[in-house]
Amino acid sequence: MQPHPIVDSSSFESLLVGAIKAGFPSPAEDVREKLDLVKLLVRHSASTFFFQIDGVSMVDADMDEGDIIIVDRAVEPYNDCKAVCYIDGEYTVKRVEITGEGALLLPCNEHNDKFKPIPVGPDNDFLIWGVVTWVIKKA
Amino acid sequence: MFALADCNNFFASCERVFRPDLVGKPVIVLSNNDGCAVARSNEAKALGIKMGDPFFKIKDLVEKNHVAVFSSNYALYGDMSRRVQDVLRDWAPAVEQYSIDESFLDLRGAMIADLDGWAKGLSTACRKMTGIPVSVGVAPTKTLAKIASKLCKQYPKLEGGCYMHRPQDIAKVLRKFPAADVWGIGRRSVKKLALLGVATAWDYTQLKEYVVRKTFALPGWRTWKELRGEPCIEFEDVIEPRQTICVSRSFAKEITDPADLCSQVATFTEAAVLKLRKQGSLALEMMPFAMTNRFHENEPQTFASRLVVFPEGTDDHATLIVAAVAAVRAFFQECYGYKKAGVVFTRITQKEGYMKSLFRDVEAEDRQARLSEAIDSVTTIYGPGTIRFGVQGDGQIKMARERQSPHYTTVWKDIPRVTVK
Repeated sequence: MQPHPIVDSSSFESLLVGAIKAGFPSPAEDVREKLDLVKLLVRHSASTFFFQIDGVSMVDADMDEGDIIIVDRAVEPYNDCKAVCYIDGEYTVKRVEITGEGALLLPCNEHNDKFKPIPVGPDNDFLIWGVVTWVIKKA
Repeated sequence: MFALADCNNFFASCERVFRPDLVGKPVIVLSNNDGCAVARSNEAKALGIKMGDPFFKIKDLVEKNHVAVFSSNYALYGDMSRRVQDVLRDWAPAVEQYSIDESFLDLRGAMIADLDGWAKGLSTACRKMTGIPVSVGVAPTKTLAKIASKLCKQYPKLEGGCYMHRPQDIAKVLRKFPAADVWGIGRRSVKKLALLGVATAWDYTQLKEYVVRKTFALPGWRTWKELRGEPCIEFEDVIEPRQTICVSRSFAKEITDPADLCSQVATFTEAAVLKLRKQGSLALEMMPFAMTNRFHENEPQTFASRLVVFPEGTDDHATLIVAAVAAVRAFFQECYGYKKAGVVFTRITQKEGYMKSLFRDVEAEDRQARLSEAIDSVTTIYGPGTIRFGVQGDGQIKMARERQSPHYTTVWKDIPRVTVK
């Protein structure tokens, strides 16, 4: 029968680090920080959702088919924000210009004249689902 | 003070978050196997669809009124529930999750000047952040908080939050509140209540204490005190590890092939093992079982099971699955069509501090432990069923869920699509 090791692998490792570097302790020994992409991209775990961009109806848009966008419902829509909106039974990403009476939905790209700005007031059946905070694009 | 945060028509509301077109329209969600209605939007309730109505009975009504019907999507509901919990934890010092859609909040010691505003604010925050409408009731006891949260659903003017604390207000509410709807009294007591002439919650509070103790025993006595404003149901924010773990399902079609039944029970066992390992427990006894369809009265009926006792507590995937499959092979009989099966870990102990036998094969145990850990990690990252034992077959539970919505928040290929215009 083999003797059973009494330390698990992680404590064994820290034992080694201490043992080898005993004469010259690394100044970084206690530093356990690393970059966490999720922490950067997801500020509120309760209200953050992912969407995928469908269709290529826009030229020169900063979002392309297949991109993943991060949408945070906790972010208050601000002037000129990009947001996932729900209009006429469909999700679309629009630039939202906030006006006195309501909002003006602009195409995501200023140079695009294929889609006209849509004014929305209290009578429209429309909702801002959430504000786009990041676009993840494959290089 | 205590608060109860209750998600309105939770499963139906989860579906609506991703389908804004269904807002204001009737929506129902069906149980496993699309058997019966387990969640209904207000519009569906108004059509007369009741909780637990079998789907085949309401099919005509559903078609005529264009009711949106969904199979249950527990991956979605679980994730949305987690999001609501995240919001609640930001708002209250302690949260006790009571069910997937209900949580008690302990506000004792919290310095909140305007509790009514706080309740409405919490409801608004949940709605804004998660899309789920939540009713928040605040009152001196858990039982009263539950009643307060029901008021929010009845009266939209309350804007999702209700602080009920003045004795005269509580009395007014209890006088209109049916006793059978009070948390902790329940439908089973209806006859006894009628005999005592108790119709409303208020009538119940007016019973003599000794009558309550004699007729409704300890739980009924606690409810009586709670309704009178004296808190006596403990706040439980530490989840005790479960003493038994059970995973069972009924099948869309009866199973007559032993290999099929084995692969299903193996899949249930795998799900149960994941629960067991998550709470850091070991199984000492396990009971796989299977039963026939009791609604088919003219077919032969059976409830078959085998108790498996382990000499040493175990949380090893392979050990438990192999034992479950052996048990199924032992009790399976060709003459029956099995409609439902499952597995229960009937005796569980904590892994921490568990004394193992001295003469066990340490090396083999180590190897198995590493395999189990590898299965856990793959499952955590890629979801259950990604890696599985051969006996599990395709690892899918044979359930009817023809109308299931995508796993919008838990599977990358299912995330909602959006066009840029």
